[in-house]
Amino acid sequence: MPRIAGIDIPERKKIRYALRYIYGIGPKIADDILSAAGIDPDRRASDLNDQEIAQIAGIIDQEHLVEGALRRQVSQNIQRLRDIRAYRGDRHRRGLPVRGQRTRCNARTRKGRKKTVAGKKGVKG
Amino acid sequence: MGRSLKKGPAVNERLYRKVEALVNENRKAPIRTWARACMIVPEFVNQTFQVHNGRQFVDVFVTEDMVGHRLGEFAPTRFFRGHTNKKEGIKRGAK
Repeated sequence: MPRIAGIDIPERKKIRYALRYIYGIGPKIADDILSAAGIDPDRRASDLNDQEIAQIAGIIDQEHLVEGALRRQVSQNIQRLRDIRAYRGDRHRRGLPVRGQRTRCNARTRKGRKKTVAGKKGVKG
Repeated sequence: MGRSLKKGPAVNERLYRKVEALVNENRKAPIRTWARACMIVPEFVNQTFQVHNGRQFVDVFVTEDMVGHRLGEFAPTRFFRGHTNKKEGIKRGAK
C-alpha cells in the first residue's frame, strides 16, 4: 500500500486521482506533480514501484505545503487576523461569514444549524 | 480582482504627508482621519491614528502586522449587542 506525505494511503485509483486524497493537493497540483515526475497519470497507485513513490513524495516535500504544515499555515493566517483586531478576525471569532456575504438569511455554513427562536404563532415549538 | 501595480498602494496623500512630518520630527501624535480606505504602509508603523467610524474616532495603534490592511478594518462601524428579549422587551446587555 503506497504511503505518501505521512498517513495518506490512496490506492486502486489512478494516481492522478489518488493524490487528491492528500490535503492540499487538488486536480492541478496532482497533474503538475506527475508531469514533473514523468509518471503516466493514468496508472493505478498500486502499480507504482517504490522508486516512483519516493520520487512523488520528494516533489511534494520540496514544492508543496500539505497536510499538517498547510493546516498550520491556514490557522496561523486566521490567528494573525484575530490578533491585529481586524474586521475579518472579528468575523472569524464570531463564526460569521468573513467576505461580506449577507447574514439576514442563509450563511448556514458559517452559522451552523438553524437555531429557531420562539416567537410568532407560526413557529412550532 | 487585484489593484494595478502601476497605481501603487491606495494611500491618502494628505495623511501620508502628515505621517512623514511626524516621522521626520521623530515625534508621535495621534492623527485624526476619515480616510478609512487608506492602505497602511510601512511608514505608518508605530503611529497612532484616530479613525472615524461614522460616530466617533477609534484609536488605532499600527503594528507591523497591519501593513497592507486598510485603516477602516480596525475601526468597526457596527455594534451588535444581541437580539431583543421578547419577555423583557429590552436588549440584552443594553446600557
